[in-house]
Amino acid sequence: MNNKKVKRRISILLIIGILGLFIGYKIYNKPHLNVARESADIRRTANMLLADFSTDETKANTKYLDKIVAVKGIISSVDLESEKRSITLLTTDNFGSVICYLTEDNSQNSMPIKAGQAVTLKGICTGFLMDVILVKCVITDLK
Amino acid sequence: MKAISTVLSCLFLVSFISAQEQFLTKKGMISFFSKTPIENIKAENNQVLSIVDASNGQMAIAILMKSFMFDKALMQEHFNENYVESDKYPKATFKGTILDFDKITVLETFKAINGNLTMHGITKEITIEASIKKTSNAIKMTGDFFINLADFGVEIPPIVKNNISEKIKISFRFQHIPYKK
Repeated sequence: MNNKKVKRRISILLIIGILGLFIGYKIYNKPHLNVARESADIRRTANMLLADFSTDETKANTKYLDKIVAVKGIISSVDLESEKRSITLLTTDNFGSVICYLTEDNSQNSMPIKAGQAVTLKGICTGFLMDVILVKCVITDLK
Repeated sequence: MKAISTVLSCLFLVSFISAQEQFLTKKGMISFFSKTPIENIKAENNQVLSIVDASNGQMAIAILMKSFMFDKALMQEHFNENYVESDKYPKATFKGTILDFDKITVLETFKAINGNLTMHGITKEITIEASIKKTSNAIKMTGDFFINLADFGVEIPPIVKNNISEKIKISFRFQHIPYKK
């Protein structure tokens, strides 16, 4: 009788322990946000996005940082640096622009992208240096 | 009329010359590495802006903290929210001078760079060694150095004290090209 109780307690403790380890492991290995599967929080044209950052960077930071931003524009150049592709969008500002760094999948995709094409991308906004920067971008529309 | 056009062409020439002397990259790489017996933590930022003025060897670097990409999403979250507080301090900057800049040639040489690093709201003077080479259409720099987290007011909670090194190794790679717009 007593023996049975002890055994039961031990097995309950074991199950809780294993569950705890499993949950801990899951949290530790939590996957990155998959931009392709999420819908955009904010939609802007390249000009609007750049204008927001050049007029008031602090305000734009609170509005855009860590958000999934969908941006529409005309491609001014496509660059490849250490196997990562980035797309720079044309803006009316002659100093800054919007640079979108593609995800690895989208980088390796040999889809022909050329300057002058109209594109819509979504990615995570990490801030503004000379240009507004979006990372982990996926192309949602290309004409 | 003639005077105006002379002035204008002079201005044009001056701007042309100074434009030729600015070297820039928007896609510089900075990574950091924390090594402890328990785990190694690594993150890479490929969107670093770096400008070198080839007339005097001055350089300026701007880094977005949120552009550091980690293998594990949880680490990236902790880095941004708890350690560098990137909502409050979205950028790190470095302003400095490459010493003996005029002696740099197409052959790779080691030079010291002295300047101020601002991160997490704290500015500290640092001197780093970099391997630099310069041609007429590129200035290439690579190197690494260590920083102490405590110097920049980054506190590590006691519970993860053994997982994160106090000394962080920073590596960088910049391929500057002449700036033209």
